Amino acid sequence: KNELESPEELARKSQLTSQPIDYSNNAPVNPKKKRPLLSDSKYESQAYQLPKWKEALGEMVIRIFNLDMDKVRAGPIAGSYYYALCKEQGLQFENEPLSETAKFFYEDLKLPRTFSQWFQITVLHEWILFVRMRAMPFKYGKNYQQKLVDRTFSDIELRLFEEMNVNSGRIADQYLKDFNSQLRGAVFAYDEGFYTDDATLAGAIWRNLFGGRKNIDVVHLEAMVRYVRSQLYVLSKLSDREFALGKFKFVPPDEVVYKLSPSQEAVMKKAVIEKYEAMDRNPDILPSEKSKLSYKN
Amino acid sequence: MSSTAVREAAVQLVKTLQKFPQERIKHLVSFRDSQLERFKPIAGLETTGTDSTKKPTLSDIKDIINRTSGPLGLQKDLLKKVQEALPQEQFTAQTIEEQNKSLNNIMSNKYKTYYDVGNKLYEPQGNPLYYKRLLDEIEGKTKETFFTALRTVVFGK
Repeated sequence: KNELESPEELARKSQLTSQPIDYSNNAPVNPKKKRPLLSDSKYESQAYQLPKWKEALGEMVIRIFNLDMDKVRAGPIAGSYYYALCKEQGLQFENEPLSETAKFFYEDLKLPRTFSQWFQITVLHEWILFVRMRAMPFKYGKNYQQKLVDRTFSDIELRLFEEMNVNSGRIADQYLKDFNSQLRGAVFAYDEGFYTDDATLAGAIWRNLFGGRKNIDVVHLEAMVRYVRSQLYVLSKLSDREFALGKFKFVPPDEVVYKLSPSQEAVMKKAVIEKYEAMDRNPDILPSEKSKLSYKN
Repeated sequence: MSSTAVREAAVQLVKTLQKFPQERIKHLVSFRDSQLERFKPIAGLETTGTDSTKKPTLSDIKDIINRTSGPLGLQKDLLKKVQEALPQEQFTAQTIEEQNKSLNNIMSNKYKTYYDVGNKLYEPQGNPLYYKRLLDEIEGKTKETFFTALRTVVFGK
């Protein structure tokens, strides 16, 4: 157990010095003006505080129309919070220092700093979330997936125009179609690998994330398999309720995920059940905080 | 001599690679074949092997292209450049052994076993047969018919 190291440590251990072929043709991400992480809407900026009267009005609407908050929440959680999470992992701009996670992808794994590489990193993380969303009750899980994908493409479209200086709608459409088929291919390949074995998953990661390059460092590939499987393990321990409320974060690549012992898991489950039981019993709970999703699974 | 050590290590790596499972469906590039091509010369073996470098038939290629407009998640234009550029690589016995060790870890299913997610994710509540149907289709056990496909489109599962 102690021999386990984080994906980043593993990747750094490799002595192989071969440089990846530089096929970053001509598309560094170097915008004149960066887009906000999520959108131009003030409601999605972090500093924004909803006025009390709007909040009260919202709560009233939810109560009067008896809105299904688990359904409504797909927008702010999957479309906004989870998308931002996936987007951030590989986000990079030319001449700007990389985030800690981005360092793992671009420096340790030597991936090219391009827009399409960012897309591949984002897709990998979205797929990890899809796997968990499938385990939610069907109509909610499907809705979460839909919102995440919708948001991805509307954001990419804006990024292409505003950050990558694409100024033809036709060309942007072509890119979007290409990204769409990449997404479907990647999700299919990752699904196959997830369900079958590590070798297949490694093959899928190699073809998609590493662009099928010949001089791959297999140690890096192993690090990625470990990275992906450990994230999925964490997600498998999360209840529907916690996941749907956006209580998940990706484990940074420099951290190790250890398996929970049965007693640790029991303690964790008990704490979660107590927390949400208390919440559901609370008569003062706001209509917007209600949820019918299970916190026991 | 260090060069014999490198060769020895590469021979071991090639042996491991030959055990790497073949892909269930054909892609434009294969991890196993591309790595065999990369390490066989270092191991002093013929690259034009018999079994591993089977050329895809015309129907294989048509099949790959028809599946999606961009073949299964591959970045078409990049792929060509990557395959054309042949890197000059310097290996030591140590780096090759590292590659071999990682490959063995991957092939022994180490992480799928250690980070077991259980039936919660393999038979997801919202769509319990999702992965089974996917794999049956890939392996050709059951074929999706027009009606099962239509059902998936209409109802989502």
